[in-house]
Amino acid sequence: MGKHAWTRLKKLPPNSTSSASNARRTMDRLSGWPLKAGVVALLFALPFIPPFDREDFLLYLIGAALMAAQAIAFDFTAGYINVVNFGFAAFVGLGGYTSALLVVRLGVSPWIGMFVGAAAAALVGFFTGALTLRLRGIYAAVMAWFVGLALLGLTRNLTDLTRGALGLNVPTLLETADNRPYYYIIVMMMLITFVSLRYIINSHVGLAFRAIGQNIEAARASGVDPTRYLVLNFTVSCAFAGWLGGFYAHYYGILTPDVMNTSHTIEVLAAAYIGGRGSLWGGALAAFPLIFFREWLRTSLVDLPGLHLVIYGLLLILVMMYYPGGIAELLRSIQRRLKRPFS
Amino acid sequence: MLEVRNVDAGYDFLQVIWDVTFHVDDGEFVALIGPNGAGKTTTLRSIAGLLAPPRGDVRFQNRPINGLPAHQISRMGISFVSETLNLFPAMSVYENLLLGAYTIHNKATIQTNLSFVFDLFPHLHERRNQLAGTLSGGERKMLAIARGMMSSPTLMLVDEPSLGLAPKVTLAVFDALQALRQRGVTILLVEQNVSMTLHMADRAYVIEQGRILLEGKGTDLLNNVHVQKAYLGI
Amino acid sequence: MSATGNVTQSTQSIPFIRRMLSPTWITIWLTVIVVIIVSVAKGPFALVNSLVTGGMWALMAAGLTLMFGVMNIPNFAHGEFFMIGTLVAYFVFNPITKYLRQNPSPALAAIAPFAGIILAVVVGALLGFVIEKIIFSQLRRRSKEQWVMNTFLLTAGLSVVMINGTLLIWGSEFKGVTRYWDVDPLDFFGVNLPIDRIVAFVIALITIVAFWFFMQRTGIGRAIRAVAQDEVGAQMLGIDLNLVHTLTLSLSSALAALAGASLLFMFPSYPTVGLKPLYVAWYVVILAGLGNVQGAIAGGFIVALLQTLTSYFIGPGWEDVVPTALIILILLFKPSGLFGSEVKGVWEQ
Repeated sequence: MGKHAWTRLKKLPPNSTSSASNARRTMDRLSGWPLKAGVVALLFALPFIPPFDREDFLLYLIGAALMAAQAIAFDFTAGYINVVNFGFAAFVGLGGYTSALLVVRLGVSPWIGMFVGAAAAALVGFFTGALTLRLRGIYAAVMAWFVGLALLGLTRNLTDLTRGALGLNVPTLLETADNRPYYYIIVMMMLITFVSLRYIINSHVGLAFRAIGQNIEAARASGVDPTRYLVLNFTVSCAFAGWLGGFYAHYYGILTPDVMNTSHTIEVLAAAYIGGRGSLWGGALAAFPLIFFREWLRTSLVDLPGLHLVIYGLLLILVMMYYPGGIAELLRSIQRRLKRPFS
Repeated sequence: MLEVRNVDAGYDFLQVIWDVTFHVDDGEFVALIGPNGAGKTTTLRSIAGLLAPPRGDVRFQNRPINGLPAHQISRMGISFVSETLNLFPAMSVYENLLLGAYTIHNKATIQTNLSFVFDLFPHLHERRNQLAGTLSGGERKMLAIARGMMSSPTLMLVDEPSLGLAPKVTLAVFDALQALRQRGVTILLVEQNVSMTLHMADRAYVIEQGRILLEGKGTDLLNNVHVQKAYLGI
Repeated sequence: MSATGNVTQSTQSIPFIRRMLSPTWITIWLTVIVVIIVSVAKGPFALVNSLVTGGMWALMAAGLTLMFGVMNIPNFAHGEFFMIGTLVAYFVFNPITKYLRQNPSPALAAIAPFAGIILAVVVGALLGFVIEKIIFSQLRRRSKEQWVMNTFLLTAGLSVVMINGTLLIWGSEFKGVTRYWDVDPLDFFGVNLPIDRIVAFVIALITIVAFWFFMQRTGIGRAIRAVAQDEVGAQMLGIDLNLVHTLTLSLSSALAALAGASLLFMFPSYPTVGLKPLYVAWYVVILAGLGNVQGAIAGGFIVALLQTLTSYFIGPGWEDVVPTALIILILLFKPSGLFGSEVKGVWEQ
């Protein structure tokens, strides 16, 4: 190569005012605080904007926000440490049942109950993680599934405690019959979930998560003890799952063991993966159209049960086959394109 | 029999061999020698079909084979004994050999090949029911070569058979190759053990940094100054 | 037999006593002892009940573990092939039954269930074939990154599609038959043995033996085992990977469909009937060791026994809890499963 090698290196782009760098700077500014503030403002304003000011749409929004929050908690594990918590719905249900039973039997306030539900789910999550995350990959996913099924079985069989399949009537969070306060509660919970988990991801703990998720042996060689971080991540994810389960219980007012069904895990999973694993917000974004689609189907084609799940399943398959990065990856590549319009 | 012309090949974005051209005629014993990382294995894998060269031609018995899948190339009579051996560890020596003859449907031929191989490697015959994963390094090499012979190949591609072997075992391996050559099998051998190889080979090519540097008769190359300096320590 | 097997045990070099004390044999002895004790104490029901379901779990687990060992795909839709088996068997057997009511014919009545079972196997195999061609061979060509996890999620999606598709098309009502053959049950040492169960067990037994023969003694079977152990090596010997993959998936689905069809009298056909067999198959496979076919077959019987015992001694609702606790315990001590597993790619995510 010789002494001329250095001159062949690409010159770094100067700080000029060419339109290319203008576009880039605009994009950067747009995807920062303004975008985030805009989204939050939109979320809060939604119930007042037609057509979302209808009562039934409000119900869908609540369902969507709940699904979105779950997708965020799920992606925290699946997208970063590469473990699929296939028993996720059971942890949600565990939080719900714990909170509900505390309120029903001990008269505790539902707000406190939700936190205890989170703690219960975190505890079970901790033990599940500690015992099974030593085995990675498919083993961990299937074992989480088994634990979920065991929880489901327990809930169904301890009928003295849970009333099993008959259903448990749960006192609601608020006295009002109006859905709007619930919407704001779940949106707040979703935002808290996102901000908290995002904060952890951006911390050095999150760095460890990503290192483990990408290459566990390299992480180990760098002095990171994988098991500790795997269990930490799993526990935190389950804690949020349980907390959200508390909301579920005290909003819908009734619980059956069916909430722990694997098909619910698959719904959350579908949202997370279609939205884009490893993005945290991708699943939340995907949850809204998915839930709206489900509800639209439910109301318009009453005699086609399960169709929405067929579509979810097909979407999941298509995403896995053709676009594993999901919607988040799609949006990111568009953003990249916009940053370099002449490349 | 085998013609390789202007082949470029590599992995993902890393190109390993450039414009590689050589040929092997019927019945010849040709060697490809060179240092580590020169592209010898890449060359063999491109011929065997485990790699699809983006540029260049590979022709076997005048038919183009570049781009064909590995199992099809194998069925055409080319047998590849890889450096990583690719044995089936949970199967016995016998089963590995049987699988070597997968493309042969004539039971008698299979039996003949089996006896030939067991004659050549009596060690393997002793251990015929032992699981391949429990064999020693040298035994596994022998099994890999024996398995490569089981398909009655027209052309054998052998990748570094003596690597990591004790001298006695190396001799046994080269004896086996010699026996094959006497049977009329064409051999393309990739080796780091240059002196032994050049003594046996009809012709040889020297490949360095992905390009063919030298070509010539085995004996001639033994007297080549560059070869002597770089590979024979003279 | 090993599609893959425990490599560290050579058949000759380990002394007999030590071999009998390996985890594999300890498990087997323990099982035999438990069966003997329970049979003596409470009657042979444990053995009998376990054998029938055990045979079917063995078939399902074998198919599942084969698919993982050969193709590195953890099939979460495996139970749906069981369900398809029940569906096909029902739709063949039911019309014949109706016809037989008008025109009774003992010969036809005897053969009718087999017609359903055979057709179920064919449909199962065909479905597996189609899925391999449309989905997995495409995916293989596109990207092999994160293969195990991606295919796991993909099969989860597939499962959802199959369950709800069936729900949409054929509805959620239970489509069952009370029995396949209208013959009195046999009496075996005080245990009631319906003919349906005996036939199911015999079918399972014959299939297991045929499967063993196929895998161990035929060229193709050997080729399948080769691909499970070293894909590149298999290619180098002229084995067509596409053919092996297609065959494996078809075989796996056919076995699951066979199980479903043979047990229609026990498991009526409805969209989610495959979920329990799915769980059991996975349980057996993880317990025995991923990719270990022999282990899966033995494990099928052992887990059936475990279920029978849990259900009888602890209560029918605890069938999920006790086994889960047990498997967590076992995996803590032997992560590769009771019988060990030697599978490529199972640790990669």
